[in-house]
Amino acid sequence: MATKNAEAYEAVSKKYEWGFATEVEQDFAPKGLSEDTVRYISAKKNEPEWMLDRRLKAFRLWQTLEAPDWAKLNVPPIDYQDAYYYAEPKAKATIASLDELDPEIRRTYEKLGIPIEEQKVLAGVEGARKVAVDAVFDSVSVATTFRKELEEAGVIFRSISEAIREYPDLVKKWLGKVVPQRDNYFATLNSAVFSDGTFVYIPEGVRCPMELSTYFRINAENTGQFERTLIVADKGAYVSYLEGCTAPMRDENQLHAAVVELVALDDAEIKYSTVQNWYPGDENGKGGIYNFVTKRALCQGRNSKVSWTQVETGSAITWKYPSCVLAGDGSVGEFYSVAVTNNRQQADTGTKMIHLGRNTRSTIVSKGISAGRSDNTYRGLVRVAPTAEGVRNFTQCDSLLLGDQCGAHTVPYIEVKNPSAQIEHEATTSKISEDQLFYAMSRGLDQEAAVALIVNGFAREVLQQLPMEFAVEAQKLLGISLEGSVG
Amino acid sequence: MTQLLDLPSNRDEAWRWADLGGIAAAAALAPVAAPDAEFLDLPGAKLLFVDGVLDEARSDLGPVTLGPVTLGAVDAGDHPLGRRASHGWTLRLAADAAADPVQVVHVATGRENHVAAAIELADDAAVQVVETYVGAGWSNRLARITLGKAARLMRSVRLLQAAGFTSLREEATLGEGASLVTTVLGAGDAGTRIDGAVTLAGEGGYAEFGGALLTRAEQRQECAVRVRHAAPNGQSHQLWRAVAADRSVASLAAAVEVARHAQKTDGEQSLRGLLLQRSATVNLKPELEIFADDVKCAHGATVGELDARALFYMQSRGIPPARAQALLTRAFVADALDRIGDERVREAFVADADAWLERAL
Repeated sequence: MATKNAEAYEAVSKKYEWGFATEVEQDFAPKGLSEDTVRYISAKKNEPEWMLDRRLKAFRLWQTLEAPDWAKLNVPPIDYQDAYYYAEPKAKATIASLDELDPEIRRTYEKLGIPIEEQKVLAGVEGARKVAVDAVFDSVSVATTFRKELEEAGVIFRSISEAIREYPDLVKKWLGKVVPQRDNYFATLNSAVFSDGTFVYIPEGVRCPMELSTYFRINAENTGQFERTLIVADKGAYVSYLEGCTAPMRDENQLHAAVVELVALDDAEIKYSTVQNWYPGDENGKGGIYNFVTKRALCQGRNSKVSWTQVETGSAITWKYPSCVLAGDGSVGEFYSVAVTNNRQQADTGTKMIHLGRNTRSTIVSKGISAGRSDNTYRGLVRVAPTAEGVRNFTQCDSLLLGDQCGAHTVPYIEVKNPSAQIEHEATTSKISEDQLFYAMSRGLDQEAAVALIVNGFAREVLQQLPMEFAVEAQKLLGISLEGSVG
Repeated sequence: MTQLLDLPSNRDEAWRWADLGGIAAAAALAPVAAPDAEFLDLPGAKLLFVDGVLDEARSDLGPVTLGPVTLGAVDAGDHPLGRRASHGWTLRLAADAAADPVQVVHVATGRENHVAAAIELADDAAVQVVETYVGAGWSNRLARITLGKAARLMRSVRLLQAAGFTSLREEATLGEGASLVTTVLGAGDAGTRIDGAVTLAGEGGYAEFGGALLTRAEQRQECAVRVRHAAPNGQSHQLWRAVAADRSVASLAAAVEVARHAQKTDGEQSLRGLLLQRSATVNLKPELEIFADDVKCAHGATVGELDARALFYMQSRGIPPARAQALLTRAFVADALDRIGDERVREAFVADADAWLERAL
């Protein structure tokens, strides 16, 4: 056993692979949070008056709210005054091509493995799949590629601050419509101090010619990152959006409170995929990102569809419930999730499917994997309104426990007010059996590889939903996240 | 008048679906005439409580004692409703004792009444306790159950109040190899809240906690049961059925908690809801909280209406639609009442459920 474990121990003592900090000159807002901070951010972004008013309104509201504590999470008190709310890399304001990018930033991207270079090459190849990357480095979008090709298709793909200036009517119409300012504590905070993010508008009947992607990355010490994403798919439009993130190793906990809003009109479809690999803290639970995110989709149109796929391997604490409000008749909501927790990580994640329209359908597949001394909770809500005839929901929550020091929890809420609904919920909890491990190892796999293989099999249903670019990365991530957890 | 101000709030997750307004309203109900008390035709002790006070003339205490309820191993208790009850009855059985069934009928005639009970069974003791609630008002109960090694308790509770609210707080601790089977039928017109906390403290314990909640009109019935596996090799089953008609709300919240060292636990939950009208609501929350890695915990939850194919099949065999609907609904409810071991008791419960279905369908 000792020799077999040697490798495992080595893996356990391994440090966060993506842990590094890039030294780039930054422009900071003064530390702390006040109306002045809000005004500073708004001014920095050259925002119109109406946007500042919205921010101030949200900030005043936020001051009256209390942080939620219903989740099965142990969140140390957060000092909101002890953080920077705005950090901008001191680079040129606009960049024509990637070559003009700050070399430090570029090196960071390379270390992260963002395949921008590769994609640029790919872009020249006829018929190759293309990915447009709007890379968010701390708080400002520094590079947007493929903008031209997207514009030809009529797709608007901008940082949210640009969109506020360039498309104020669209932004005014939809921003805060799905996640209103007073939605919850963290969403309100985000509404007040969001620094940057992405705006996507797909016009009627357009199928977005490439996968859109934003790479989030928290870099500056003590900066919360408050991203705001708004995606609107007009009638008959289709878009697949990829979101992925890693953050460098820092000792102090960092707060990330993003808001993502999706709107799908008649016959539109949005596919939103996330691979989240932020720094989870070390093996003793020191450091790590707090990921308190509000993600919600409004399927407003008839036969619209929103599909959330997430692979959550990072963050010290995750509080995240990507949801679908199925208002349009015949609309479809999907949620596929793999959440992995190791060491001292805590995750409380799941989804809400609010069925309002007739013949709306939803599918929830959640795979929770707990290892080390972590806690992993699935928390979900399926609600059927009295007017929603013919609703179908299928929910499956599976938990896999690695070791006897971790916890797996399932807290599903089902609220049904219409008898024609068919709601099914299934859940199982299991562990990796000795037999499975023995079999895989008898075929020549070492223990790590055997565990990774079994875990990937467990999560396969979800990983299949990811676009190609992410599926490979996600599989690798699962293996890395669980290194040293068995043995 | 009890201080209703310190009731929990719906903002509290554990009380999210609770009808807290219903409790206050029940406590304010004007006095009504006492309905007939119905004891089942069983041997053994019979206790009749009218507004929380024992009617000695019509009771036969048997092995049961009255007075302040000593709480035994369980701490003083901080349950927001349960803590209001401190006096009531105690049933203590010595090792290897097998007593006749104990029947308790609670009659409420308005306002509020609080009764506590303690059931302590020493090693290998066995007994059956049957309780019935009738009348109107707020009947609030606390039951503390301690089962020794291999002790067996079969508990069946009928909630048949015509108006008001019945709240039960059940706290049970099971020793090694002990068995507790609790079945609750809510077939009255009062609001209910069944709040259970069962701990399998000894190895190889067996717990069943389930039943059927039938709601109609504006009624709201709710169970919130948590079974905690604190020792290895335990088995638990929570099987609940809810039928909701009119504008009523039936809520089933069942949780299984498996402690760190409770390996080889087998925890099962089956929550199913049937909606008879579109204005009714069924809420389900099958919760798992697992800290051990070698366990088998499965839960299933479904909500919907009767299977259209089954209805069609029965009609094709010449059964009128209304009759087919009644038969299928009856079968749906019967699942939960099958767990009652004593045939006489089970039949009485099934009859009550049938009477409810007659009225609702």
